[in-house]
Amino acid sequence: MIVKSVALLGHKDHGKSTLIGSMLMQTGAATQARIREAEMYSKRMHKPFEPAFILDSFAEERLGEMTFDTTRAEIKHNGLAFALIDVPGHEELIKNMISGASYGEIALLLVSAKQDEGVRDQTKRHLFISRMLGIDRLIVAVNKMDTVGYSQERFEDVERELSRFIFKIGFAKQNVHFVPISAYKGENLVKKSQKIKWYRGRPLIDVLYDEARKGGKKHEGALRIITQGTISGDKGELIVGRVVNGSVSVGERISVLPLGSNATVEGIVVKGKKVRTGVIGENVALALDRVIDGELRGSVIASSANKPELKDKIKLKIFVTGRFGKRTLARFNGTEIACKSVKILHDIDTTTGEIVRTKKAKPLEAVEAEVRLVRKVPVESYDVTRELGRFVLYSDSKFAGIGTLD
Amino acid sequence: MIKQDLKTLEEKSIYIIRETKLKFKNVAALWSMGKDSTTMLALTRKAFLGKIPFPVIHIDNSIDFPETYAFREYLAKKWNFKVIVGQSEIKPDLVGAACCGKNKPETLKKIMKEYGFDALIVSIRRDEHGIRAKERYMSPRDENFKWNYKDQPAELWDDYASKLDTKGHIRVHPLLDWNEVDIWSYVKKEHIPVNPLYFSRNGYRYRSLGCTHCTVPLKSNAKNIDDIIKELETTKTEERSGRSMDKEREYVMQKLRALGYM
Repeated sequence: MIVKSVALLGHKDHGKSTLIGSMLMQTGAATQARIREAEMYSKRMHKPFEPAFILDSFAEERLGEMTFDTTRAEIKHNGLAFALIDVPGHEELIKNMISGASYGEIALLLVSAKQDEGVRDQTKRHLFISRMLGIDRLIVAVNKMDTVGYSQERFEDVERELSRFIFKIGFAKQNVHFVPISAYKGENLVKKSQKIKWYRGRPLIDVLYDEARKGGKKHEGALRIITQGTISGDKGELIVGRVVNGSVSVGERISVLPLGSNATVEGIVVKGKKVRTGVIGENVALALDRVIDGELRGSVIASSANKPELKDKIKLKIFVTGRFGKRTLARFNGTEIACKSVKILHDIDTTTGEIVRTKKAKPLEAVEAEVRLVRKVPVESYDVTRELGRFVLYSDSKFAGIGTLD
Repeated sequence: MIKQDLKTLEEKSIYIIRETKLKFKNVAALWSMGKDSTTMLALTRKAFLGKIPFPVIHIDNSIDFPETYAFREYLAKKWNFKVIVGQSEIKPDLVGAACCGKNKPETLKKIMKEYGFDALIVSIRRDEHGIRAKERYMSPRDENFKWNYKDQPAELWDDYASKLDTKGHIRVHPLLDWNEVDIWSYVKKEHIPVNPLYFSRNGYRYRSLGCTHCTVPLKSNAKNIDDIIKELETTKTEERSGRSMDKEREYVMQKLRALGYM
């Protein structure tokens, strides 16, 4: 069964883990033992049953009633499966949030409808990050509707408040849906809620289902293989890597970049079997007509007729998670490239999406920056081939941000 | 239990296993002779043209099942790979989780040091336990095997952790995404040999294999892989319900893993 990955987003305590816990229970995906364990810990803490404890497994998470780190759990519905990716909502745990959300194909944002909760900076920031990661389908679950008497007015307030920002950062109208729910009470998740009669749409799981069925077909482009290195075969070394775009065939003339060496593909092995063509998503081992001298980790193989550009000066949009200090490394497909300089062009306010004329690069904000690398790398837009347009940035040995190329 | 797309799982695992071998200098894999770590070896053979290009470690406390030892000899010969047996001693005063938490990691520490391994492939899966579900694909451990679960490294875009220091190592979890039923579907599809204890005899079978002291069989009539897959589609019991160590005091798995349990 194909599993669609759904990244949960939202401010802490707006109900991400509770929602996943309730969905697991209502779809029958949670085992009795996991439910019993969550029951036992709820009781021990003198609380009513807390579905979030099915996900939050660390003692510290349960005692602190706060998710620390990402995890995921699967549910199925009408022959389709979803991996629901839980992430922490707390600002200080943004590193773990990004780690989880980076695997998402669809975003499921939780916003609490409760008085004094509502749309927060972190709500918008998570949306900003999801757009940067390339997620283009969004379901906004307006949660805790039980605390506001399932009020249509409150639901529409939240929708109005958030819509402008959602469209400003680039979500298309037809890919965004708002659904009123109560994750804790289990309302409008799998079955249409009788308490929200004014809501004409489908329950959350069906909205997810429709959205998951819609997308997925990617436009396939020119051949790009990210190489991991070489392994020994019967007749010498084979270059191994993953096809991240296009396909590769025996007889094809290819270039290894940034080395610039050209060769012809003489053989392709996929999962131990000789094949004529390796396609997108496959791990291939290539036999070439000549030995390639030089670094073969994190290189790019492209068709000689259609190569990505080599650049040592790149303009990145960066979501900042730490401080940019003296020594910054751009990690690119398993290799580390030192940065000569990171020049901030301007800041982007992640809660408004506006360009700001300051150049501060504060954590939890975004910037546009001109990054100079010590050597040339083959790059292209993140939208064209993700693997060639993304960098994980470390500064003074600490995780400092993620950067994408427009 | 949800059956996932085997091709997607397989490609991801092969990518991670290759990445491990090519990123680190001195790699080893743990093998318990169970279905998961044997599947990992089958995936390794797919990644490396039929070879297993690193040694495989069995931490042996001398009280595994006879079938398990026989399977070790059988497969090591059939697939032609090197097995390092780490002899761990069962101390009579340690039982259950205390035994698992102490004996096996202590023996493994000695082996890691002796051979200087900087990466260790371990075949855990997210659906086995809530604590295992919080793991990264690549996770740094210090010299004492400590898992700093409160501050795990960022892991996105196939960018995996490097070693913490010169003495620690990276735990690699290539099967993290797999469900129990996926393992069995793959075992069937690829004709991967498995320990006979997984199949029902006299109305009982082992669903998860540990040592003879702490593992009990569960009621089951599943005599072949198809039966097992059918059983898993409807079961509501946990895979590790026959493993006594999982059921002891509070947060025992968290404590064990933080201390280096595999």
